[in-house]
Amino acid sequence: MDHVFTTGDAGETDRAGALLAACLEPGDVVALSGDLGAGKTHLVQGVARALDVDGAVTSPTFNILLVHDGVLPLYHFDLYRLEDEAQLEDVGFFEMLEADGASFIEWGDRFPDALPPDHLLVTIQRSGDTGRVFTLHPGGVRARVLADCWIAAIKAGASG
Amino acid sequence: MRMRPLEYNDIPAVLAIERASFPDPWAESSFADEIGRTDRSWKVAVSEERVVGYGGVMTVGDEGHLLDLAVTPDERGTGLGRKLVWELAADAARAGASRLTLEVAASNDIALALYRSCGFDVAGRRPGYYPSTGDDALLLWSRPLKPHLAAMRAAAAGEDIILAVESSCDETAASVMRGGREELSNVIASQVDFHSRFGGVVPEIASRKHTEAIVGVVDEALEAAGVTFEDCDAVAVTAGPGLVGALVVGLAYAKGVACSTGLPVVGVNHLEGHIYAARLLDPDLQPPLVALLVSGGHTMLVDVPRWGAYTVLGGTLDDAAGEAFDKVAKLLGLGYPGGPVISRLAAEGDPGAIPFPRPMLRTDDLDVSLSGLKTAVIQYVERERRGGRDLRIPDIAASFQAAVTEVQVTKTLKAVRGTGARAVVLAGGVAANPALREALRSALAAEDVPLSVPPLGLCTDNAAMIAAAAHDSLVAGRFLGLDADAVPGLRLDRKM
Repeated sequence: MDHVFTTGDAGETDRAGALLAACLEPGDVVALSGDLGAGKTHLVQGVARALDVDGAVTSPTFNILLVHDGVLPLYHFDLYRLEDEAQLEDVGFFEMLEADGASFIEWGDRFPDALPPDHLLVTIQRSGDTGRVFTLHPGGVRARVLADCWIAAIKAGASG
Repeated sequence: MRMRPLEYNDIPAVLAIERASFPDPWAESSFADEIGRTDRSWKVAVSEERVVGYGGVMTVGDEGHLLDLAVTPDERGTGLGRKLVWELAADAARAGASRLTLEVAASNDIALALYRSCGFDVAGRRPGYYPSTGDDALLLWSRPLKPHLAAMRAAAAGEDIILAVESSCDETAASVMRGGREELSNVIASQVDFHSRFGGVVPEIASRKHTEAIVGVVDEALEAAGVTFEDCDAVAVTAGPGLVGALVVGLAYAKGVACSTGLPVVGVNHLEGHIYAARLLDPDLQPPLVALLVSGGHTMLVDVPRWGAYTVLGGTLDDAAGEAFDKVAKLLGLGYPGGPVISRLAAEGDPGAIPFPRPMLRTDDLDVSLSGLKTAVIQYVERERRGGRDLRIPDIAASFQAAVTEVQVTKTLKAVRGTGARAVVLAGGVAANPALREALRSALAAEDVPLSVPPLGLCTDNAAMIAAAAHDSLVAGRFLGLDADAVPGLRLDRKM
């Protein structure tokens, strides 16, 4: 299955996140890669909305990790300010990845060796001022199932 | 509301509250049996001739056993439960008790929260202790009573001396304050130099540097104030929100001091501290207020109907204001922190040069969004670079700052009109921005509402503001236990 899709604006990115939420299982790890302003936080906001998270899902840049309670716990990381893989230990990164929620890691490509092998890497590229191209790179069996589920939901949404 | 000893006539009212409060209530005869015993003290809280709460304590040797305590449902959440706990604690202390202990049903969250707010720690669990419900009992112990009661008396008289430490982000800070308003010392060991190399606050570095700095910073604060630990009534500490690795350094230090000196610990919400900073500048400042908190990690409008009560009216849906300044500065290659350098360059630029968007300016709510503005700056810079044009950095800085300012000012005015606030407090590190201060001041002047902006040193993170907030907690009898943990995501409307 082709693991690429596009969104036309921030609202569509939010809806794509909501469609991903339905595919998530505890322990899933999604790493997000893309420049400042690519829409990483927007995508996670869509996921959070569909998981019935209460309250605003804001940028975790300052806190590094924000935990949200939803249908599934949502662990929202931002590695933007980290310089060294050893700092991941300090922010509880590895404990959270093994906990009972789904982890979303902005700037997740900063320390590729620190990610569990079976993670889904999502790269986001800008296409014009508001368009975005999402490319999924599943790292293992579970991530491939997750990617297929998400792509299928997006295709169904587009044709339905 | 007043407290007086329990009398036989009170028993029907007490029974009604007892039955409304516990699945396993005391019997009428048990209450009657308690009255007149020399090793017991029972008190009722009376409001407008109505019994609204009661409690009893038994003192055996140096232990006070809290036997029962309840508040009528419509008076819960008013601080009455805590007043009863400390009233009984004072009685027990007079009878020779050095600490209080009690059992509480593990499922009774309200009671547990009450005793935790008085600084009680969970020391054990008794499985299946309550026969009718099968619920476990948690065994709770207070910290030493005398220093807590003394601190509350000193605070009520406005003479309390508080040592406060703050380590929620990149400043290690300590302050000594008398009566919540008189600053005896205020010491900040800034870590910005360490961080500027990295383009942001790096948590691991933050916790290591806090650990290195905290003892020296506290020593300096005590020395500058001319006091020792023995002169202090309590140690206050920021419990959240912030970076967990940084928060725990201050909290562990405060607990260490408490453990070795017996001093009470007060936990302060960092955001509440920022609001109290305004009261240090302006002791007569009185709610109802609206506070605009703008910093690297927070951007929110808060309704403060009275000191200690907060409703978040709105806030950023994505990036904090300080974060937006930092990210735009990084994009323009200007270094960290971004606020001062953008503000300096903006003074030389034209705020109308580039029409950056004002997201959510016209929405009805009090939320703001800064991520779209950040993206607009990125797109502008890329377009200019693609076109081979030189970037006019001062114009970009001025136009970006103008967009941030206009949205903040508009939403703050809306909050003032919606709440009827009589003053506005601008707090947090971004309050240092002169353009924001001036725009807000002139907009509010037109509404005849004064703006209170703490001096720069009290806007950025500091411990004096933590001490100022802690004073009110002492008056209310609100303490931390030694098993308290840092809460990185602590909300403003949640007490520790």
